[in-house]
Amino acid sequence: MLKDWKLHIIVLFFVLIGEAIGVKQFNLGVGTVALFPMLYVLIMGGIVSFPKLKLMNETQMKRAAGILGISFLLFVAKLGSMLGPSLPKIFDAGVSLAVQEVGHVLGTIIIGLPIALLIGMKREAIGATFSIDREPNLAIISEKYGADSPEGRGALGVYICGTVFGAIYLAILAGFLGSLGIFHPISLAMGAGVGSGSMMAAASGALAVTFPNDAEDIALFAAAANLISTILGTYLCVFFSLPVTARLYEWLEPKIGRLRKEAAK
Amino acid sequence: MIEKTKVLALIGIIAILGNWVGYGVSPIKALPGIILIVLFTIIGLVLNKYLPKMPAVVWISLIALIATTPIFPGNEWIVAKTADINFMALATPILAYAGLSLGKDIESFKKLGWRIVVISLVVYTGTFLFATLFAEIVFKIQGRF
Repeated sequence: MLKDWKLHIIVLFFVLIGEAIGVKQFNLGVGTVALFPMLYVLIMGGIVSFPKLKLMNETQMKRAAGILGISFLLFVAKLGSMLGPSLPKIFDAGVSLAVQEVGHVLGTIIIGLPIALLIGMKREAIGATFSIDREPNLAIISEKYGADSPEGRGALGVYICGTVFGAIYLAILAGFLGSLGIFHPISLAMGAGVGSGSMMAAASGALAVTFPNDAEDIALFAAAANLISTILGTYLCVFFSLPVTARLYEWLEPKIGRLRKEAAK
Repeated sequence: MIEKTKVLALIGIIAILGNWVGYGVSPIKALPGIILIVLFTIIGLVLNKYLPKMPAVVWISLIALIATTPIFPGNEWIVAKTADINFMALATPILAYAGLSLGKDIESFKKLGWRIVVISLVVYTGTFLFATLFAEIVFKIQGRF
């Protein structure tokens, strides 16, 4: 991984350009969109790795993905070093931290499953909406239904979308929701701890840009929420999310299916 | 493990250079902080190797957390040094590697139907929005803000 100097030099170059450009905010009237170095380097990387340009080969891209996993650990260590001195603050928000995790778990199912059925998905909907479909969730669904089942394909589809635009989308969503002024920055920070590395980094970054005075607290609570998602996520997924989504599907599918047929007439 | 350590050190170097350009902290001033962060990561990885059952992320968080709590000797110095590294500066290289790995998924992405793309947006919105909403409701009930 280390030997691929081309890869690291590109990253260094992007990071320096990205940091030099710095933060830019665009006012859309209803709210603002926050642009910041993380997004620039992500987009620059996406362009360079675009297959048609042939600037990078498959092996290099796989290596980049491998390094992504390791580099995220440094970010985790940094966030951990912010947690230590702030433990009283975190315990103080303990109830919110516990309850927000319920929101992370239910949030994908509550709106995801009905909309999936309304637009005509079948059993793919179970895999697509039972979680945010990152690596551990993919393992769970392939164990239960098989990777090539409709459920497995639904999960893999959301996984691929998440990899391709999850971080950018969450950054824009977090920055926009933040600028509306409905939610407190700390609640939004907890929301940002979705349990996926790059998505959490990008979403909390967008919030830190939107609320510069609360940047430290945002990192702190996003990290705490993300840690809870990581620790509990897999268990909740196996024992709660997946069985509940499957049950809800059996119950909702005939009803929404009938609605769709009537609408078609 | 040695390979991973080298990769961590390399990303550390990229991060302190970004930290310099973006946040005006000289790499020399940032050096102790990044060494500590790399060290926490390595200890966490070693623990994860010999005492599994928990993801590496949890071990690493735990080590960094303990080292910065008031019970740990020298915690004030550790807190001050790690604070020299801006968390955003550390996240920028991660997203750069993420960007450079995107190309490998473009072909599979093209094969996906529009429904799954729409649903993935709904799923991410749902998890973010509901967690935010639930946290906000609890804070409101408690009268925090």
